[in-house]
Amino acid sequence: MEKVLEVKDLKISFKTFFGEVEAVRGISFTVGKKETVAVVGESGCGKSVTASGIMQLLPMPPAFFKGGEIIFNGENLLKKSEKQMQAIRGNKISMVFQDPMTSLNPTMKIGKQIVEGLVKHHKMSREAAENKAIEMLKLVSVPQPEKRVNQYPHEFSGGMRQRVMIALAMVCNPQLLIADEPTTALDVTVQAQILELMKKLQDQMDMSIILITHDLGIVADMSDRVVVMYAGQIVEVGLTDEIFANTKHPYTRKLLASVPRLDMSKDEPLYSIDGTPPDLYIPPKGCSFYDRCSEAMKICKDHVPELDEHSATHQSRCWLNHAMAFKGNSRAGGEK
Amino acid sequence: MTEPLISARNIKKYFDVAGGQLKAVDGISFDIYPQETFGLVGESGCGKSTAGRTIVRLYEPTDGELIFNGKNIYKLSRKEMQDVRRNFQIVFQDPYASLNPRMTVEDIVAEPLDVHQAYKTREERSERVIELLRLVGLGEEHVLRFPHEFSGGQRQRVGIARALALNPKFIVCDEPISALDVSIQAQVVNLLKNLQDKLGLTYMFIAHDLSMVRYISDRVGVMYLGHMMELAESAELYSNPIHPYTKALLSAIPIPNPEIQRNRKRIMLEGDVPSPINPKEGCRFVDRCSCATDICRKETPVFVEKKEKHFVACHNV
Repeated sequence: MEKVLEVKDLKISFKTFFGEVEAVRGISFTVGKKETVAVVGESGCGKSVTASGIMQLLPMPPAFFKGGEIIFNGENLLKKSEKQMQAIRGNKISMVFQDPMTSLNPTMKIGKQIVEGLVKHHKMSREAAENKAIEMLKLVSVPQPEKRVNQYPHEFSGGMRQRVMIALAMVCNPQLLIADEPTTALDVTVQAQILELMKKLQDQMDMSIILITHDLGIVADMSDRVVVMYAGQIVEVGLTDEIFANTKHPYTRKLLASVPRLDMSKDEPLYSIDGTPPDLYIPPKGCSFYDRCSEAMKICKDHVPELDEHSATHQSRCWLNHAMAFKGNSRAGGEK
Repeated sequence: MTEPLISARNIKKYFDVAGGQLKAVDGISFDIYPQETFGLVGESGCGKSTAGRTIVRLYEPTDGELIFNGKNIYKLSRKEMQDVRRNFQIVFQDPYASLNPRMTVEDIVAEPLDVHQAYKTREERSERVIELLRLVGLGEEHVLRFPHEFSGGQRQRVGIARALALNPKFIVCDEPISALDVSIQAQVVNLLKNLQDKLGLTYMFIAHDLSMVRYISDRVGVMYLGHMMELAESAELYSNPIHPYTKALLSAIPIPNPEIQRNRKRIMLEGDVPSPINPKEGCRFVDRCSCATDICRKETPVFVEKKEKHFVACHNV
């Protein structure tokens, strides 16, 4: 498959008063053309930092790139100047943020916000821009677009605002859309509408999507491939079916087990992962999941496992993959 | 048949706003039995949190009765209410906003004890606090810490310990887990279940995560724009939903299994929840309903028992 984006050994840290927080610690993944890659993990695992890092939207300082490359269409984005980045941001790569309530400018009419990027990137006339804004609102199924372009964000409901955000991101036909928890703030029925809309637009525009979420139901619904992150590292990556049906990493297995399913008996206790993710001021020396893993072994404490291949598309980072690991309870998954 | 612990009858809560009346809760009735978990689901703005708060009388109701121990507690005076109130507690949604950042955990947990003067000596107070913290999986070492030193899951545990301080019978859990991560949600839900078994608690569990509500609740009510649309035992509701809104709501939950999810047919609802300010007569769901007829626009459907223990408010079933 043609690669649109390739992240190679990306490391992002934040300098703080108390020291350095290693938020992203060497992650590599690719996004193919028209592909949807889901990035899942708990809060603080580095998934949003990765997304903002690709767009170079992180405040620097305190953030800085410690290493790695972000290759987009064969060019390393980290070597670009701010001016060159501006030509890419919003044009070739766009982003939809989590909170539609705060990510629109409350003092600007919706129509003007939608075409802002277009006017900047393509030097469009005002009239043409307004028509384009109406066309975009139609595309994302906002009713009465002619009236709506001249309204302000507070006149829109949450779901409608998120549609506007998507229209705003799509206006320049980006090759890559980064959606950072696009439906977390929305109700399930509205969430379903937005996800359907994203699928439809992806088909129409041949776009790739990086979908950041913690909802495994959305992952199952939307993604072709899944990247599972924990404490700033990728612990497992694979096709969606591989991740759900042939889970290899204990963290992924536990994450799947801790979501209540509609077909689950109520007498079954809900599986919970004890403890909390490690502090990234002092990242653990060995496997970052060691403290919370029920299958941890001696080696896990001090040695970081490599990313092992299970198939051409499926990799995981766990010592249990090692040929010498004790396989007795490696599929226990549940009880501790 | 066991007596209900509380019976809500035609509870209404209106707010006066510019442009009319916001009918947040508009006549809901239900019973909650001892030691059960009653789930309340619905989209944001449907009035589920207002319902929870009105039931414990944090909001003064506009109309209705709430029978507890044979008495209508909405008729009680402030003083009498304080005695009853120790039986009712609430766990709030946002563990970051519901704990006072300038109070230590000890003072936060002991606040209900202070208010109700439930101890004689300082030792008794701190013993009770430690006992409560242990009950929710925290310990003595946390007593003198401040809320900012805790993670979201731990804060929610502090909130639960505070709710348990006066040995209440009934706890309203208002979206207690929606601000938490998936792995932490499971910890808190398991804790709530264990406490229920241990202490014989009755819960009203308000949430919009339908799969979690199914898991924790014995019976579930579905609300839409201030009205109760459907109420049934949770297994029954999730396998045989009757109301078109419940059906749409259930079909919108993405299932974490790619094989099932890809082949599912969704019932798409058009549009958003309409405004609860001055709602029209008739079924509240009519504008988004696929099987709406003329009568739905004219008359509000009555909430009736269609099957055994399965209540629905819809003209077309």
